[in-house]
Amino acid sequence: MTFQLDLSVADLLLLLPEIFLTLWLSLLLSLDFSLKRLTHQQLAYLSIVGLAVTGLILLGFDQAGTTGALFKNMFVLDQMAIVFKLIIVGATVLVLFMSMDSVQDFKFFRGEYYVMVVMSALGMMFMVSSNDLLSVFVTLEFSTFGFYVLVAYLRDDQRSSEAGLKFFILGVFTAGLLAYGISLVYGETGTLIFSEMTSTPGSYGLAIGYILIFAALGFKIGAVPFHAWIPDTYQGAPTPVTAFLSIAPKAAALAILIRMFYVSLASFKPMWALLFVVASIFSMTYGNIVAIAQKNIKRLLAYSGIAQIGNIMIGLAAGTKQGSDAIMFFLLTYLFANLGAFAVIIAVSQVMKSDEIEDYNGLNRRSPFLAAAMLLFLLSLAGVPPLAGFIGKIYLFIAAMKEELYTLLVVGLINIVISMYYYLIVVKKMYINEPTDPSPIHASMPIKVAVYVGIAGTVLLGVYPGPFIDWVVSASLMFSNIAGPTASASLLPGG
Amino acid sequence: MGEYSLLIILFAPFFGAIALMFVPREEALLVRMTAAISAGISLLASFYIFLAYDTTKGGFQFVQRYVWSEELGIAFYLGVDGIGGPLVFASAILLFAGIFVSWHIKDRTKEFYMFLLILAAATIGVFMSLDLFFLYFFYEMSVLPMYLLLGLWGSHTKGYLAMTNPEERKLRDSIGFIFNFGSNSKEYAAMKLVLFLSAGAVMALMGILLIYHLSGLHTFDIVVLREQAHFSDNVATLIWFLIFFGFASIAPIWPLHSWSPVGHAAAPAATSMLHAGVLMKLGHFSIIRVAFEILPDATREWMWVAAVLCVFSIVYGGLVSYFAKDTKYVIGYSSSSHMGYIFLGMAALSYISLSGAVIYMFAHALATSMLFAMAGWVYDQTHSRDIPSLGGLVERMPFIAGAFIVACMASIGMPGTINFIAEIMIIVGSWDKYPVQVVVAVLGIVLTLAYMFKMMRGLFYGKLDPEYAHTTDARHWVDRMPLLLLIVCSITLGIFPGHFYEVVRSTVEPMVDRINHVAPLITQNTKGFLP
Repeated sequence: MTFQLDLSVADLLLLLPEIFLTLWLSLLLSLDFSLKRLTHQQLAYLSIVGLAVTGLILLGFDQAGTTGALFKNMFVLDQMAIVFKLIIVGATVLVLFMSMDSVQDFKFFRGEYYVMVVMSALGMMFMVSSNDLLSVFVTLEFSTFGFYVLVAYLRDDQRSSEAGLKFFILGVFTAGLLAYGISLVYGETGTLIFSEMTSTPGSYGLAIGYILIFAALGFKIGAVPFHAWIPDTYQGAPTPVTAFLSIAPKAAALAILIRMFYVSLASFKPMWALLFVVASIFSMTYGNIVAIAQKNIKRLLAYSGIAQIGNIMIGLAAGTKQGSDAIMFFLLTYLFANLGAFAVIIAVSQVMKSDEIEDYNGLNRRSPFLAAAMLLFLLSLAGVPPLAGFIGKIYLFIAAMKEELYTLLVVGLINIVISMYYYLIVVKKMYINEPTDPSPIHASMPIKVAVYVGIAGTVLLGVYPGPFIDWVVSASLMFSNIAGPTASASLLPGG
Repeated sequence: MGEYSLLIILFAPFFGAIALMFVPREEALLVRMTAAISAGISLLASFYIFLAYDTTKGGFQFVQRYVWSEELGIAFYLGVDGIGGPLVFASAILLFAGIFVSWHIKDRTKEFYMFLLILAAATIGVFMSLDLFFLYFFYEMSVLPMYLLLGLWGSHTKGYLAMTNPEERKLRDSIGFIFNFGSNSKEYAAMKLVLFLSAGAVMALMGILLIYHLSGLHTFDIVVLREQAHFSDNVATLIWFLIFFGFASIAPIWPLHSWSPVGHAAAPAATSMLHAGVLMKLGHFSIIRVAFEILPDATREWMWVAAVLCVFSIVYGGLVSYFAKDTKYVIGYSSSSHMGYIFLGMAALSYISLSGAVIYMFAHALATSMLFAMAGWVYDQTHSRDIPSLGGLVERMPFIAGAFIVACMASIGMPGTINFIAEIMIIVGSWDKYPVQVVVAVLGIVLTLAYMFKMMRGLFYGKLDPEYAHTTDARHWVDRMPLLLLIVCSITLGIFPGHFYEVVRSTVEPMVDRINHVAPLITQNTKGFLP
């Protein structure tokens, strides 16, 4: 096989956001090393500027309708990739705002923290564009590499080291699963590129290969039964890193899942739809029930995140264009609500020095602003109108209803009621209980920015979602085979 | 101006709540005035639509429609008919009265009024939604403020002993917490209310989504669905039961009622007023709006379920009220019992009975909220709701005692109040179809008489405990005005019910005809609907 690289400048334009961010990353790193007087806040703002420019380039692509594929379809820039990249860039910017207070408390390597965050973001931006199994592997490891470091950033903190170790061991294990799955799929199909495997006949090797790949990606999104690392890692990691983990890698892995199942496995839809139905039911139910018993707010959000991933998988179970649209919209709502909630957690833990739910007693008396913001974010996560989370859930339910997934819908609806309970327990602590120490809590400026952005997004997407729904509807997936009539082929021979 | 009335009614309280965010916490009077003004605007506009509703035309009027999402088939579609209009009016009256009733709340006044305004606005939103999505949207939105209103400004019920320390709760206890029906803390009441109502809501949501998908229209527009949606018998029955029991849990019908009296007892006065007055009617209203409009055949076939269950509601609620010792429990269970009358009127499906049921919703809203307002006043003065320990308060508070007697009379259905008209219509209209239930309902009225008199005697007559010698009457106009407003509305409409009846009739008659297949439906898009 001869391999030739024919690239023009126009082709490279498609890579402009990534190229720009790579250059900016090098600039950040060299500035951090060379200018000793540069404070870490200045570095943070520089990173935010770089990401903002990247975001603007992506918005420009979105407006101009720039799409295309590079490197023999290994790298794809379609509308869907742009939406996911914007979600990742937005999440990273918010996380950087939230990080400044926590980084102040770090003893060493303050500057490198921002470089690591931006590097992971860069990896994830490549990830959502990857259209073949090899680049999935490379970009996935690239982005996770940054997280291995970030999770264990608090060197002196035992919990952080434990979290880092757990995350690392399980992460490496799933990397092995992924590589094994990829080799099986390659052996069966003879190609690595998603859009070229569409006409492969079903076989056991292919089925096992894809299940292994699903397991590896399920680990990234934290779906049951691959969720075991989530609670400890969330609790131990520095809170801004937890916030970052809770949204960006999930979005990137979901993009790959959508691409993989919608493009290469479209003809086996009945089979993988069932897989997602089961995973979704278990994730929602397990996450919500275990969340009830939590005493630590980060663990609570970890389990609530598992349940939310269950909700998101409703869209994949539907396996339609509308399903993937609903996932993108839900991720947008989740971005604002979840990151906003973590911003409040950081503000409170700066004062309380711990993350127990008890610390939220009487928050309404100590800081009406933070309490009201947390109330909005939790209710949005619970799916209460008129907040964004409600529209996101309804959108997913409508997508599932159109595919007549009644069992999944019933379980999803019951889970709304269960989740209401534990979110309201936090609300009760904040509003009804009296504080042990009534001194007021003040949030710093960067945290307030993150909270305000969270509130604005949560309310805007809730009361006026029309333009955003239109935006995700127009975000099409390149090479998608799902639009055609549902094929009823079996992934297994003779099945 | 006229055509935007509904937007004004709906958004005045919402903007009031937003404006309150920017009012400084220390300016308590400004906070109250902002709330009162926004509620006042809403009240005036709703009075206008109540009067200006064209009874010769009927149907949905003051319609506003804005496309919200083409992709999902959702439109922000508002309009009132002869059923929604009076209930919007009732909600606005109760909100306005409730703001004055809670004038003396000192703790976190700003938040209280914000949540109260959001609660009322969401309730009003349900009554005017012509889109199933927004009906559910506002319905679910009205539930959450209740949690905070009960939890923050509510009060524990006497006998609150179990589960006093929810901080040390384990998972096992949490499950017990949900099923522990003996606990009386306000947190328990609030959580139970939210979980019950959310469970009912998601059940109804399942029904709504099934209507959305199985009608094949992929729209939430009630007007379109009413004319074009067809379901096979089994599907229609399934959806009907989901919708009926989903919404009946807020009504509340007999086996699903247990959250309601607990919630009433824990709630502050203004919240109880809105809760008993209009929040519970969301259930009946939504059943009429969704099940009666979209599933007329299933309604005709299955509405006997309501007629059976309403008997239990009436008798059980009445008996508990008679033996209860807590004023708010008495009023709460009496509401729950009176909701049975509405279900009876709805189940009989005749012109007179259904009109009676609609008028009863309005009448009950006024009467019960008066009772709750005054029970709240007595509690604020004495810090007790225990009827045996109170007594002789007429010496200290003659105005409240007088108003309380009027409210009891209204609740019993004394001629001269609007309740009388409604009760008579339900009883007369249901006689043909459900004579047994009517007999029970009449006995229920006797029972109402008994427990209302018992409560009145217990509170206001007998010997005054010296402990309560310091209590005062409602002397200021701020305290008297809401009660007088409710009494005046109840009696004025009781003496001149003509316009009100015409408004209700203009909507009820075509609806009953359609359900009973009496007259052919002459609408443009109907085809193949009749046998």
